[in-house]
Amino acid sequence: MKLLSLLGPLSVIGIFGLTTCTQTSLPSSVTYVDDIGRTVQINEIPQRIISLSPNNTEMVYALDLQDKLVGVTSYDNYPPEAKNKPVVSDFSTVDLEKIVDANPDLVLADSIQKNDTIPALEKLGITVYTMTPNNIDGIFNEIKALGQITGKTQAADNLVSSLKTRIQAVADKTAQLNDSQKPRVLFVTWHDPIWTAGSDTMIQYLINEAGGTNIASDLNGYATITLESVIERNPQVIVVMSSMGAQSASLDFIKSNEQFQSTDAVKNGWVYEIDADIFGRTTPRIVDGLETLAKLVHPELFK
Amino acid sequence: MNNQNSNWEQSEIPINKEKETAANKTARELPVYSSRRLLHVVSISGLLVVCVIIVILALTVGSVGIPFKTVWQILISHLPFVNLHGNWSATKDMIITGIRLPRILMAGAVGMALGTAGATYQGLFRNPLADPYLIGVAQGAALGAVIGFILPWKFGGNYLIPILAFAGAVIAVTVVYLIARVGKTIPTTTLILAGVAIGSLLMAVSTYLTMISADKVHSILSWFMGNFSNSSWDQLRIISPYIAIGLVVIFLFARPLNVMQLDEEQAQQLGVNVERTKLILLAAATLITAVAVCFVGTIGFVGIIVPHFVRLIWGPDHRLLLPLSAITGAILLILADTASRTLIAPSEIPVGVITAFLGTPFFLFLLRRNKKAVF
Repeated sequence: MKLLSLLGPLSVIGIFGLTTCTQTSLPSSVTYVDDIGRTVQINEIPQRIISLSPNNTEMVYALDLQDKLVGVTSYDNYPPEAKNKPVVSDFSTVDLEKIVDANPDLVLADSIQKNDTIPALEKLGITVYTMTPNNIDGIFNEIKALGQITGKTQAADNLVSSLKTRIQAVADKTAQLNDSQKPRVLFVTWHDPIWTAGSDTMIQYLINEAGGTNIASDLNGYATITLESVIERNPQVIVVMSSMGAQSASLDFIKSNEQFQSTDAVKNGWVYEIDADIFGRTTPRIVDGLETLAKLVHPELFK
Repeated sequence: MNNQNSNWEQSEIPINKEKETAANKTARELPVYSSRRLLHVVSISGLLVVCVIIVILALTVGSVGIPFKTVWQILISHLPFVNLHGNWSATKDMIITGIRLPRILMAGAVGMALGTAGATYQGLFRNPLADPYLIGVAQGAALGAVIGFILPWKFGGNYLIPILAFAGAVIAVTVVYLIARVGKTIPTTTLILAGVAIGSLLMAVSTYLTMISADKVHSILSWFMGNFSNSSWDQLRIISPYIAIGLVVIFLFARPLNVMQLDEEQAQQLGVNVERTKLILLAAATLITAVAVCFVGTIGFVGIIVPHFVRLIWGPDHRLLLPLSAITGAILLILADTASRTLIAPSEIPVGVITAFLGTPFFLFLLRRNKKAVF
């Protein structure tokens, strides 16, 4: 214990000394600011990357960097090949020993790890870049940043422009709709109490882009909404988030519960389940989500 | 063992002394007793009237504004033999009779159960800190519910979580009971300690499962804090028979419970079958608590605050304490739930947060006012 506490400050000084010295001696190094405002210095193109979130793993694969990926979390399920990578973390506990053992030169962290894992990794002298975009522009920026860090600038630019083209294709069709042609959409992550997404969420953005109106747009972020408000606002489309690979209990609840029977969505059978792995993550696949949602909200426009 | 117990229990709880005088009075002065009975009837019916008024007021507020008059018209139109057609929409009707009314009645039923169970546990254990969750009901129910939340299969549909919560509560208390049993008796101190120990074990498991449940954390935490957001007539139909039977059984045992406040040994000598009474009351209180929490989650505070509140105002006689705790529990929980669904409408605050905010200051005020009378 004593030895450890002695080593702690020493290693920090060590890293600090190292970085200040490299800064002067290696002008080619580039500094990035990550999603939690940390300044991250990259001296050379990383060859051994560890991802600490399913989002980041998808980003790594999207830029064709999988050969450099040497560690993932046990929750990473997309693309399916990611399951064959060595696991260094589960959802809440990061295995520092395994990370050190994998000898990474870049760890892609998530902002929820900012108080525990990230400081611990910094102390160990490991380069950590945090990616937690919370809107579509954030996703584009992170794709570009990851592209620059890993020397895949061209691939990143191509990916972003193809995503933008696909979003524009959806927007072109929904642009002519007036407000009365935009169905009232309720998004549900859980039914008891009803958790939904209000303004300032990716979901609201997707609903708007898909040509719908979010009935919970007066709420902020993810929040509960009372059942009577839902009934009063009478959603025409209800989309229920699936639950980690399993079908959501909320879907059955909404379809069978008598209180929901008065909503147009249930009457017309417009209650759908959407994939939480696509709609709950901020990755390039969010555009797949947009296209799916557009088909659900406007089946007549998107065939 | 019993003698040792009685020493600290009596020094801890001055209620016992009041009990003693109340019991003596009953024996000596019959006239006083009958006027007391009148007081009982007046108090209970008066509080019932207050409760009904609160139900009606609670019906008229919500996240969707519906005028008072419309609420009344909708209600009256549902009475038998009334042929009233108004210009309200089917949606409004659904909100009043399909959402608000069952929700308010659920809050009332659960409040009755928790208030009465709390008073029963406090009486049985002669311990002011006892609440319905003391011997593992909440922790067992919580573990059952958490398992229901994270199970990938859908067996039981919407009833999976309530069934597992109920089973968890009953199993936990049974285990605690079996551990604490010594021969044919069940010493209350052992029961409490066993309950606390098993409770912490179960809570540790639930907390861990919650932590690794990833996308279910919000829902599980909502369940822990309690909420009535999806209350329905179906739920009410399922829980109310059990609560009704449990309440009647407990009310019938008010007198033996009074005698048991003296001391278990003396109660035995006075002709109360102490062990049997304990077993029946434990079973009834556990049953109503488990039924109460299985749909709406482990709402805190009601079970411990309500009996004290009633005791501070009406005294410690269980014949009055038990029914008044039921009604006060209902009132408190209906008020708390009304606040929970209106304060930040159209969103909701978990009702457990409100019970704490509503109950604590009021209770502390009473505590200060009656400084001498309480513990």
